[in-house]
Amino acid sequence: MATATSTKSNDLLDPEFIARLERLEMVSKKIFRGSMRGERRSRRRGESAEFADHRNYVVGDDLRFLDWNIYARLERLFIKLFLEEVDLHVNILVDVSKSMAWGNPEKGRYARQIAAALSYVGLANNDRVSIYSYANGLVGELAGLRGKRLLPKVLDHLQTVECDGISDFLTACKQFSLRHSHPGILIVLSDFFDKGGYESGLRMLLGRKSDVYCIQILSPEELEPQLSGELRLTDIEDDDVAEVSMSRALINRYKQNLQAYCRGLQEYCTRRGMTYAMTCSDVPFDQVILNVLRRRGLFK
Amino acid sequence: MSFLAGWGSIALAAGITVPPLVLLYFLKLRRAPQTVSTTLLWKRAVEDLQVNAPFQRIRNNLLLWLQLLILLLAAIALGKPIFEGSRQTEDTLVVLLDHSASMDVEEKNGKTRLEIAKEQAESIIESMPGGGKAMLIGFSDRATVASAFETDRSVLRDRLESIPQTNAASTLTEGIALAEAYMQNLVIAGDEAGADITVESSATPARVVILTDGNIEDAESLTIKRLPTDDMQIISIGERDDNVAILSMEAKRNYEYPQLLEVFSLVRNFGTEAVRCDANLYINDKHVDVQSMALQPGSIKQAAAGGDATDEKNASPAPASKENRLPATGSTASIAFDPVEYEGGGVVEVRLTVDDAMRADNAAWTIVQPPRNVTVLQVGEGNLFLDRVLPTLPIQITKMTPSEYERADEYKLAEAGRLKFDLAILDNHTTERLWPGNYIFMGGVPKIEGVESGRLVDGGIVFDWDESHPILRYVNIGKVLIYQWQELILPQSAEPLVEGQETPIMALLSQDGMHFLISAFSLVAKDDISGEALLNSDWGFKPHFPVFLQNAIQYMTGSLSFKGVHNVRPGDPIEFAVPENTDEIQVRRPDGFVAKVQTGQFTSVNYAGTRNVGVYSAKPAIEGRDQYAVNLFNASESNIAPSKVLKLAGSNVEATAAVEHINKPFWPYLFLAMLAVLLLEWAIYSKRIFV
Repeated sequence: MATATSTKSNDLLDPEFIARLERLEMVSKKIFRGSMRGERRSRRRGESAEFADHRNYVVGDDLRFLDWNIYARLERLFIKLFLEEVDLHVNILVDVSKSMAWGNPEKGRYARQIAAALSYVGLANNDRVSIYSYANGLVGELAGLRGKRLLPKVLDHLQTVECDGISDFLTACKQFSLRHSHPGILIVLSDFFDKGGYESGLRMLLGRKSDVYCIQILSPEELEPQLSGELRLTDIEDDDVAEVSMSRALINRYKQNLQAYCRGLQEYCTRRGMTYAMTCSDVPFDQVILNVLRRRGLFK
Repeated sequence: MSFLAGWGSIALAAGITVPPLVLLYFLKLRRAPQTVSTTLLWKRAVEDLQVNAPFQRIRNNLLLWLQLLILLLAAIALGKPIFEGSRQTEDTLVVLLDHSASMDVEEKNGKTRLEIAKEQAESIIESMPGGGKAMLIGFSDRATVASAFETDRSVLRDRLESIPQTNAASTLTEGIALAEAYMQNLVIAGDEAGADITVESSATPARVVILTDGNIEDAESLTIKRLPTDDMQIISIGERDDNVAILSMEAKRNYEYPQLLEVFSLVRNFGTEAVRCDANLYINDKHVDVQSMALQPGSIKQAAAGGDATDEKNASPAPASKENRLPATGSTASIAFDPVEYEGGGVVEVRLTVDDAMRADNAAWTIVQPPRNVTVLQVGEGNLFLDRVLPTLPIQITKMTPSEYERADEYKLAEAGRLKFDLAILDNHTTERLWPGNYIFMGGVPKIEGVESGRLVDGGIVFDWDESHPILRYVNIGKVLIYQWQELILPQSAEPLVEGQETPIMALLSQDGMHFLISAFSLVAKDDISGEALLNSDWGFKPHFPVFLQNAIQYMTGSLSFKGVHNVRPGDPIEFAVPENTDEIQVRRPDGFVAKVQTGQFTSVNYAGTRNVGVYSAKPAIEGRDQYAVNLFNASESNIAPSKVLKLAGSNVEATAAVEHINKPFWPYLFLAMLAVLLLEWAIYSKRIFV
């Protein structure tokens, strides 16, 4: 079993890279209330070594937290309040629509590699990691994982998910919001090419007060299309057809549109406190993890 | 190619059809399928561009070019294009092609007249209707059927190409006869054996086309029986007329000093421009002498009515198709080279250094032998006149009586199977002891097949004689009295020189390598009763008798000692004397080709392949009879200006400059081309769609 896990981990994550991931820890800009005791300081008062405040004793309080020193001086009962350390919900939303199976290197695999790496960082820090894959809705779910011993399970899940179906980001976001009410870190891995638009879906995610990271993955062919002649372009997802006569002007226009699309997504995310990062599937994904997302403040 | 409908119709058709086609290419584009991750951005890009530009830029597309080509061909076809084609000829065609010496003239386009004539003939053949047949005949001094009636045009073309260039004169009689012979249908009338066979003309009348430059010697004397003369077409080939020709040449040794060789030549300018040129004398290819000359233009002037038409002896009569002409003053030059001291034998050549249209007549050759006395055997009982005259000639005489001749050992008379002497003169002696050689019989006959002496004729008169023959030159035999002669019964091949009332009195005969001059009388006859010698003719007293004897000896011995000999016209056969027991001789032609000829164990071999001028030599052959010079020496052929009017069979026929052309529609070919391009376009289109 260990061998099988190791082999699978090799497909998506390199062992050396996993070792480097050990040093990373996810950081949330927001402090959330976790459901379980974790390793992260919370605003909530709870059980931890870090003193937070005192309050008057009321009947029913745990007598273990009485501050006997104050009682000795003031003869009044005070309860010691400590900052509660909570766990962090790390949710990874991976686009597995058919368009992600396109490109060389394939965008879907690239997204799964990033998802695996992020999952490992979360698991290694005892965060509660959930992985959702979506196409025209949520098509796969692996929720509530904690502890890096569950990495093989994550990898198994990621490798079994196939890229298929039409992308419906809004539906997927709706379903995610209904199933997952805890705030935390939400990382969306997608090309964000959704003919229904990405705005509604992202707005839905914002409603959960999560710390949202949008990582847009594009292929080299999408960034620099090498096409010529009279072409009948077929959408890989919905078989939509666009007849084009390739020319330098058209390709330039396409690039301008792509830039505008990406810039629009970036502005949308920035204005709403979301973090946006764009990468190409031919960029080594470890660089994305170690450099790009680190700069964006996802890791410390 | 020209257009009946004009360029406007083409422009109109192209204007109507081409723009819509191009417009179609704005609308209809064949696109290659391509999968993309999303069409979202592409659609936006296309929409953006379409908003900014109402038309897309036209692209390089093979189908567009092919369709434009189709439209262009259609537009040109609408312009009713025509091209010049030769008139379609009748079903049956007889093409007579001149390949004589004058057809070797190189015209200004670099092609010879024969090549031009072949092109014209090919054009005529191509214009035959389907199923039409044509016959090809090449004619010069002889005519040969290059192709009998043939329908396959490729075969006709091949046969046309096989007609060779010759240096021979041009005659048409044989060609016409051949054409008529091939055209006749033999129809057997009646079923019975021996029923009449009647000759009827061909079912389909043939059109006769003669391709010539007009220099046909016998055109006027032609008799045409079956060929339709009304529909006869003569196509005149050639334009150039600049030619300088050697019309005659003679090399002879000085009578008193035989070691001195004297060479004479006659040169004439036939062109319309004055010419300066040099005549070079070569002996065995060694340059010996040169003579410069200036020749005035040989412009033609009319001969005076009844006047002498020509002033040179060796020039042929003016061509029948042309009017009688005289060479212009100064256009002819007689060249006498300085006497050359040369005691050897070999080839004497006169060569003109002139750049003219015809080369065959720019050089002339003759063969000379080393000076030596002719050996003559005189056989007779004694003849006062012969005994007086013969010693005065530069000959070596051996005398025998008839009985001595008959009894003599063979080695005394013959050597290597041939007569030991250059000439034997047999006076009043008939014998069968003959070997290949030259004989003059006077009052006797050789006992050979076909030759007999008949009854004696008393007091007959000389009826006619050939005064142009070299033997009778300067001999006025008409005033000679002959008391008695014997009738000569000779074969058909004999050439009579002097005719009596019924039989020849003097004749030449060649048979089995033996050459005879047979005279029906001797100057002296023996009295039957007394046996005394009686005077039979007064010829011996005439001053031209020695002249006759010299002429006869010179002619019969081939002028071995005095003149260049063995001059032959192109096409004439030459006779090589061959040693005994020789199976084969090799004849080297002027072009270097060596022909092997079987002798058939004869001591003389005739060779007829003398179509080109130059020196022909044979090995092995008897010295003195092993080389012959073939020269053109034909004013008719050298006068290369093409005739525009040909007098053919008594009537003038105007020659056309070229094959008669008619306008032929070109649109069917364009239509075929359109179909071909359309098929190609369809194939390419299908390949793009279904592959």
